[in-house]
Amino acid sequence: MFLSNDHPEEGSPIDPADLSGLDLPAERLLAVHSAFRPILDEIRKLRELELQAIHPAVIFEPTAVYRERGK
Amino acid sequence: MTALHRLPIAKLSALMAGGELSAVQLTRHMLDRIARHDGTLMSHIHLNAAALDEARAADQRRRRGDRVGPLLGIPVSVKDNYFSTGMPTTAGTRAPGIAFEQSDSACVERLRAAGCVFLGKTRTHEFAWGTVTDPVANPWDTNRIPGGSSGGSGAAVAAGLACAALGSDTGGSIRIPASLCGTVGLKPTFGRVSRHGIVPHSWSLDHPGPLARNVDDAAIMLQALAGYDPRDPACQDRPMPDYRRGLKRNVRGLRIGVVENHFLDRNLPSVQALFDAAVADLARDGAQIVRVQAPSLRYGLGAIFAIELASSSAWHDRWVRDGTTAHYTSDVRDLVEMGRLVSAVDYLKAEQVRTVMMEEFRGIFEKVDVVATPTEPLTAWRKGEWTVDIAGAPESVLAASWRLTYPFNLTGLPAITVPCGFDADGMPAGLQIAARPFDEAAVLRVAAHYERSHDWSARTPPGFD
Repeated sequence: MFLSNDHPEEGSPIDPADLSGLDLPAERLLAVHSAFRPILDEIRKLRELELQAIHPAVIFEPTAVYRERGK
Repeated sequence: MTALHRLPIAKLSALMAGGELSAVQLTRHMLDRIARHDGTLMSHIHLNAAALDEARAADQRRRRGDRVGPLLGIPVSVKDNYFSTGMPTTAGTRAPGIAFEQSDSACVERLRAAGCVFLGKTRTHEFAWGTVTDPVANPWDTNRIPGGSSGGSGAAVAAGLACAALGSDTGGSIRIPASLCGTVGLKPTFGRVSRHGIVPHSWSLDHPGPLARNVDDAAIMLQALAGYDPRDPACQDRPMPDYRRGLKRNVRGLRIGVVENHFLDRNLPSVQALFDAAVADLARDGAQIVRVQAPSLRYGLGAIFAIELASSSAWHDRWVRDGTTAHYTSDVRDLVEMGRLVSAVDYLKAEQVRTVMMEEFRGIFEKVDVVATPTEPLTAWRKGEWTVDIAGAPESVLAASWRLTYPFNLTGLPAITVPCGFDADGMPAGLQIAARPFDEAAVLRVAAHYERSHDWSARTPPGFD
């Protein structure tokens, strides 16, 4: 393992709530999943795309925090 | 004689400069209209107790001979997600424990410096999510929604309760209420106007801008709002054109693109007919109409959902974790919680799609100067309706209402909506014009020409004359 093999739950699937960070009561989680389902259908279309050569429209700009503040 | 609340800003400014009108008189007139009509429209959530003091200060500035622009003494309203000194900000939420600072956002700061009088804060759909903006009513039919999320601004400007208003646009939230309420709404290029001091919705999609009664007023507002601000990391330091200079030019020889896919796929026949007529009018006036395609728009909805949901959930994260979101309205609660379900890989693929889309539009703008689309595939729907029948199939009104606007949030391009007619129920529709980055002058020019050759903007909602 990359970090540690001292994990008590090793061998069992990771809790989906832990993966997403959405720690809600089961009933509420179901409601959120239900509302998300049609949106996931749209997001799933992105997965069909081969975009390896395309840079995402996100720019890391290390000088941004040095800009003059307070004006 | 045209009523004060129907006069364009330049005319009001001229009357004040000539001593025929004072800012106090104009502000009193607008406050009286708010008192008379806003019990029905509910466009404002807060009225500024200092409005008349600000008007007096504006009159004093004029008497002192302060060299300021046309906004001196002009009463405007501010969407309730912009921070503002002296006027509380709620971002439309009643959730306990959420409070925002009372300092001026960059836009309020700029309008204050330009001499505007603030009438109050206009209602927004909670956290600028959604297109209903309950309980605001549409002035053209108070049983219908005004659109959103800047629904209060749309209703207030359309009804003549404010000379102009600020809105914010993450997927269409300036242009949607402007189209559905029959006003002009301008979303400038991402980075043209500072987002500093606006409650964030989605960092890379949020655009501040004005809703106004006509294109010249929108240009005057943009002139005051635009410009570099180092407090907004996305704001760009670029030359500032005179946005009013080209407004009297016609469209002869201009190449206007009509994107045949996506924007024409699923529109109500009445709206499509109004759009077709608008394009025919522009062609008659000498524009060259060029048919183009933008195939990547097939992936646009998935891309904006991934970016908007993930960003919004990240911003609301502390309130998702401590359970505060349980106090949000149910639609907004679902949206800010489900962003946790968007994977990082899907988010970045969405940002890759965005690059593809920006490249595609760059290619389109090698062939044309602007593109024209309907702003909305439909007109304002009745309160409580959740689906509309378009092209023989039911569709969620919320899904339909941003379909034609969000492409210009993903691409960051400037886009304006200008009224282009009314359907059989008397509800307004909008013509959307978009252009290359930072070419606001082009969208204003085409919109101004179209507005000048029609009388749509002169019409007033019944009962709000």
